[in-house]
Amino acid sequence: MKTAQEMKPNSVALIDGQPWLIQKAEFTKSGRNSAIVKMKLKNLLNGSKTETVYKADDKMEPVILERKEVNLSYISGDDYVFMDPEYNSYELRAEDLESVLPFIEEGMTDVCEAVFFEGKVISVDLPTTIVRQITYTENSARGDTSGKVMKTAKLSNGTEVKVADFCNIDDWIEIDTRDGSYKGRTQAPQA
Amino acid sequence: MRVTWDIFCSVVDNYGDIGVTWRLARQLVAEHECAVRLWVDDLAAFARVCPQADAQALVQWQAGVEVRHWPQPWQACEPAAVVIEAFACSLPGAYVEAMAAKAVRPLWLNLEYLSAEDWVGGCHGLPSLQPGGLQKFFFFPGFTAATGGLLREAALLAERCAFQADAAAQAAFLASLGVERLAGAQLVSLFAYENGALAEWLSLLSEGAVPTQLLVPEGRVLADVQAWLGVGPLQAGAQHRRGALQVQVLPFVEQAAYDRLLWSCELNLVRGEDSFVRAQWAGRPMLWHIYPQEEGAHWDKLEAFLAHYCASLSPQAASALRAAWHAWNAGSALAQAWPAVQAVWPELLAHAEQWCELQAARPDLARRLEQFYRNWLSYAA
Repeated sequence: MKTAQEMKPNSVALIDGQPWLIQKAEFTKSGRNSAIVKMKLKNLLNGSKTETVYKADDKMEPVILERKEVNLSYISGDDYVFMDPEYNSYELRAEDLESVLPFIEEGMTDVCEAVFFEGKVISVDLPTTIVRQITYTENSARGDTSGKVMKTAKLSNGTEVKVADFCNIDDWIEIDTRDGSYKGRTQAPQA
Repeated sequence: MRVTWDIFCSVVDNYGDIGVTWRLARQLVAEHECAVRLWVDDLAAFARVCPQADAQALVQWQAGVEVRHWPQPWQACEPAAVVIEAFACSLPGAYVEAMAAKAVRPLWLNLEYLSAEDWVGGCHGLPSLQPGGLQKFFFFPGFTAATGGLLREAALLAERCAFQADAAAQAAFLASLGVERLAGAQLVSLFAYENGALAEWLSLLSEGAVPTQLLVPEGRVLADVQAWLGVGPLQAGAQHRRGALQVQVLPFVEQAAYDRLLWSCELNLVRGEDSFVRAQWAGRPMLWHIYPQEEGAHWDKLEAFLAHYCASLSPQAASALRAAWHAWNAGSALAQAWPAVQAVWPELLAHAEQWCELQAARPDLARRLEQFYRNWLSYAA
């Protein structure tokens, strides 16, 4: 058993005999309120979706899932096609990729993990750290070099992230995919 | 046939948890004709908020509520139709099994603490899928239509208005506490946790042009008052004067009397959750000492409330109020922030009443709980 807080997006919990894919999980703790986790769940048997809340220390029964390394092959509308080293392709809809969708873009070379339940692909995990290029951001207004002042920057797929004020257009940055946070400026990935 | 409710209350500390659940239980009985069992693990704490209670009785009836000691280990009983675990306390495992075994499974609600934070509206009323076919939901009190509202008895505001319009009733009430109102003095109630900002503020009041009569029900802040006065242990009935400030210690009063104390005062300093809500129904300016948390987790909650409360204030009044609340909760510099509050006092007074009316325009928490149950029944059918 795991606690609700330990259950991450793209894991599956068995609840009342039904396998539920955790598509999104938001942890909240404030004041005297108990720490809670708000989750978006998808039932893997009938496809129904629900939003739920758990106490962070509620016990959940995780389902062991098969995983396989894949790369993004191409995007066609709302269809995302990944391919494993044996050239098997796996197609997922945008709605199946909710937690990682903001960081998926054409041409990305990240080695991802396809997640399978009973032989069927159900989602894809990205690496914890990914490198992306800024396509647009305002010029630094205050010339801050500390990295503590943040501003908004846009990636090529339109996703907006908060970055250090000194970052510029075309800069490459590291992003933590668990929470979408900026980790730092970096070099362009090797081709 | 009356709908049965079980409310479970585990007293963590102080009297907020039991205060809220006791108030809710009474209201469900009195206004919604529910049959309520209130399970309390600390009957001594219950007896403080309900003085006529027997702290030793395993079962007793108070105000139409069946009050039961929450036994350890748990003793089997038939679960109610609606089960509330208050403030995320954990229900006994055997009780949950009994819920799952019922032919018609109960509605299971986790009643959370009050918060004005935005995320509350997004979590209020959401299910929490459980084994055994049980349906559990999170229920959040709050200040917006997207939340479960606030505890407020149906006749509360009418009673308050009548009381505040009746000088004789106020004088008689204060006399019952041993208080004689000083001519021309502003009446202030003080109910707070230990607070480093108190001494300077009391000094400021003692030097004020307007006399202040400070009424302090027995509680945690008393040691700070005693230290400022430079006297021995304070007990109910004690009175001390320092310049323009008269301090009087009151006994710890039961809930209805505390309401009247709040209604009697021009300013109320309150703490935690229950007295904080009751001060809002008093329609008078207040200063909230929020329950302090490790790592400052309470500040977001304080800011969230201020964002709502200050939204319709003028910039000057909002700034003054925020500065005073921040200082009080930081435990410093309230005295420096206070003159700005006094400068906008008429606006804060009018705003306190407007805020009360705004909140009272929404259904109260007990009604919303009862409605939630009705909706759940309809959906299940």
